[in-house]
Amino acid sequence: MFNRLQTKLTVLYAGLFALALSLVAVTVYLAIVGNAQQTVRKELTATGTVFDRVWALRTQRLQDGADLLSRDFGFRAAFATRDAPTVESAITNLRQRLGLDLAFTVSVDGEVIGIDPGQLDLEKLWTALDGETGAQGVFVVNGAPYQIISAPILSPNLTGWIVFAARLDHREMQALERLSAIGLEAQVFDRRGQAWITDSITADTPRLAVFVDTAIRDKAGKPSLLKGKAGESLVLVKPLKSLSSDGAAALVLRYPMALAMAPYRPLMAGVILVGLIGAALVAAASWALSRGLARPIMALDDAARRLQRGETVHVTVQTQDEIGRLADSFNHMATEIRDREAMITHQALHDEETGLPNRRALEREITTRLAQVVPGQHVVVSATGLDRFTFVRSAIGYELATQLITELGARIGLISPETFIGRLTTSTLCVVGTHDDVETTLSRIEAVLTGLEAPIRVRGELVDIHMTVGVATTIPGGPDAPRVIEQSMIALDQARAARRKVMLFDPVAYGDPSGNLSLMSEMLEGVANGALFLNHQPKLDLRSGRITGVEALVRWKHPTRGMMRPDLFVEMAEETGHIRALTDFVLTQAIADQKALRAAGHDVLMSVNVSGRLIDDAEFADRAIDLVAREGARVCFEITETAVIGNPDVALGVLDRLAAAGIPVSIDDYGSGLSSLAYLKQIRADELKIDKAFVLKLEAGGKDALLVKSTVDLAHSLGMKVTAEGVETREALALLQLMGCDLAQGYHVARPMGLEPLTTFLEGWSIDLPGDVEGGALKQA
Amino acid sequence: MRFIATLLLIVFFSSKALAGTLSVTVRSTDGKPVQDAVVMVYPGGQPTRGPIAFPWPYRVAQQNIQFTPFVLIVPVGAEVAFPNLDKVRHHVYSFSAGNKFELKLYGHEENRTVRLPTAGVAAIGCNIHDQMVGFIRVVDTAYAAKTDAAGVATISDVPSGSVVARVWHPYLRAMKNEKTLATTSVGNGTTRETMAVELRPQGGH
Repeated sequence: MFNRLQTKLTVLYAGLFALALSLVAVTVYLAIVGNAQQTVRKELTATGTVFDRVWALRTQRLQDGADLLSRDFGFRAAFATRDAPTVESAITNLRQRLGLDLAFTVSVDGEVIGIDPGQLDLEKLWTALDGETGAQGVFVVNGAPYQIISAPILSPNLTGWIVFAARLDHREMQALERLSAIGLEAQVFDRRGQAWITDSITADTPRLAVFVDTAIRDKAGKPSLLKGKAGESLVLVKPLKSLSSDGAAALVLRYPMALAMAPYRPLMAGVILVGLIGAALVAAASWALSRGLARPIMALDDAARRLQRGETVHVTVQTQDEIGRLADSFNHMATEIRDREAMITHQALHDEETGLPNRRALEREITTRLAQVVPGQHVVVSATGLDRFTFVRSAIGYELATQLITELGARIGLISPETFIGRLTTSTLCVVGTHDDVETTLSRIEAVLTGLEAPIRVRGELVDIHMTVGVATTIPGGPDAPRVIEQSMIALDQARAARRKVMLFDPVAYGDPSGNLSLMSEMLEGVANGALFLNHQPKLDLRSGRITGVEALVRWKHPTRGMMRPDLFVEMAEETGHIRALTDFVLTQAIADQKALRAAGHDVLMSVNVSGRLIDDAEFADRAIDLVAREGARVCFEITETAVIGNPDVALGVLDRLAAAGIPVSIDDYGSGLSSLAYLKQIRADELKIDKAFVLKLEAGGKDALLVKSTVDLAHSLGMKVTAEGVETREALALLQLMGCDLAQGYHVARPMGLEPLTTFLEGWSIDLPGDVEGGALKQA
Repeated sequence: MRFIATLLLIVFFSSKALAGTLSVTVRSTDGKPVQDAVVMVYPGGQPTRGPIAFPWPYRVAQQNIQFTPFVLIVPVGAEVAFPNLDKVRHHVYSFSAGNKFELKLYGHEENRTVRLPTAGVAAIGCNIHDQMVGFIRVVDTAYAAKTDAAGVATISDVPSGSVVARVWHPYLRAMKNEKTLATTSVGNGTTRETMAVELRPQGGH
């Protein structure tokens, strides 16, 4: 209820004012009540005094009348002579003249004239009259209180009394009430037995009777307060003399306080009305005041809440006081917070070096676009890698290299303004776009790439740039932002590996990286259970036309995935270190197969692929040499020259030992990859295998033919035999024969095959070589 | 009549030898002597037969606007004189049953006589002067006397034997203002008796 400052202030002020007013009202009321009581008390006392006087006067009047009659000679004569009719007529006459209620005589003998003796307690009356000359007081006649006045009848001695009685009834009291200045209520109570009774009965009578009893007993001569059913009243009890000794009577003057308060009622109403109006005014005024006070605070409160929610806020400063200054400070603070937040956000979402959006920003963008794409649309993420960036960077320096990246980003932005460009790694930009068709997008990327690769001018110098793009796409429900970025990066790697400019992420080629390790353990299982096996591709001796050797190629039939591509799992084995175990298996199996072939009567040289990574592994060399020597096998190690040789010194030692052990070494896939003359110099090999990329295009002539021919010559010069891979036509075979190539391998000779088909193949092998092998004519060419 | 009276007197005197005296002292309840109380003795409970005569004059004078004496004892049928010794006039009356009379205004040195025929009380007053009150006790016995200032009444020559004696006073608080004495007989010599009575207060009238 009091959560609001305004309410608090209003309630406080209005409450305080109301409290003050209430105090004033209570004080006024108490003063009025006191005053009214005082007035009534005075009036009651005064009326009491007046009553005394009235009572005395009336008594005197009656007494005078009684005395007059009692002295009348004729009356006395009539009374003494018991002339009842005369006596009665005389008192009736006087009664009427004086306006009395009752008049009668009582003789000393107890005889009564003028009233029915049954109406009164004669004995009590006689005793009272006899007890005192001129006895007077209140006496009950016929059940009602009367004021009794008596006078003795002396003739000349006491013969009786004349008795006058005035009834103390309501009418009589009304006459008394009229004498008072205030409208009080007069009643006569008389005691009969223990009870005080009166003729005018009201609801308060029982209470009043008790009050009278107490007042008489306490002889209280002052007015006091009585709480009755009809409200409070001030009551004065005046004891009246009773004629009978056991009786008692009292005049009760009563004045209701409500009546006394009546004249003050307009005043009280006025005070309350003024108070209420005042309270309303104060409430309204404090409401207005506190609103003025609370409004800026509420505005600040609201603004702080909105600031918390991250909204931009500004509080309008209205006043020059503390609140105004507070609002000012708040605005400054809000601005600073906003700026700082913007800076932090910018830093969080942008690359520091180039100012381009960073990976987080890219992820956010992808997520945003994913939420907006319509069905059929894809979010295309292109990881655009700057090739040979490290070379470029070391050439032109870090600063310019960074500038280059920035420039490149700007260039992409110009070409595809609808895309979002960020920096993924030092050398990789990432372009996020939304496209309908992936194939079209790929084409477009390829198309614009040419323009993108135009030399960039950095600080006046032109720098050549080359780029590879890895593309990954996603749709709502597809891979999330981090995943699709990762895929684009992988696609970039795949593209580079495949030497293509643009490539879409190939999930099949990539496989499941998380499954790689398990794949390796499965491979090891495959070694044990025969899922891995060897296929052999025959090598044809171009001089003899005979199959002199075979290349052992490992194959893996995965129990669930089917045939596994060798480059996939071999490469993985190289990366994960499982290549040693794989090579061990291949070597062992090749030797075993050679044995089998020997048993069938075919002695062929077994070529086994050995990863470059194993060449600097002395332990492997020891084990291989040992195995070959033990089995008496004839094996050739084909070393893939693309593999990086980690430790050349160890590698050379290993090669020497292989040579010493009589194991020839062959350089595989020569011509592709890192082929260099230094390499040929470094590795003392026995054989050189020309990469099929050259052989396949041999028939077209041109450069490839020249390259093959000169490579053959180069190898021969270095004392190496030459094997051509990828021989698929008779024409190529013929050309190679002409070029002096020693061995040929390819589909034209034979596809790789299992041991049994190989045996059969070897049984049935015959070839009609294009050139005259025996003649050696070509040898000279 | 006179003859009979003389005869009675002889009888009376002849029996003198068989007579006693009754002395009654009347006091109020507070011990003060009560004057003007009338003691009446009825030998054998019977009123006196024949004429009765008392040695005091049968006269109530009005002097100084007072009745003098205040209480007078007379026998039944006695003629009582009311001489006016004052300079003013008086209007003497009695409303007492059997002895009712009225002596209308009469002046100085005038004398009126009234015969009181009935035994009892004649309360006399003056219609002009309320304060004038007097009482005449009309008795039917020869043995009566009123108390003096010492409250003593002495009745001599009361025949010996049983008697009924009463005390009367105008203000005695009792029926007919009378009380009966405890004495029931009188012997030779003096019989003494004391009686305490309650008197009505007389104020203002």
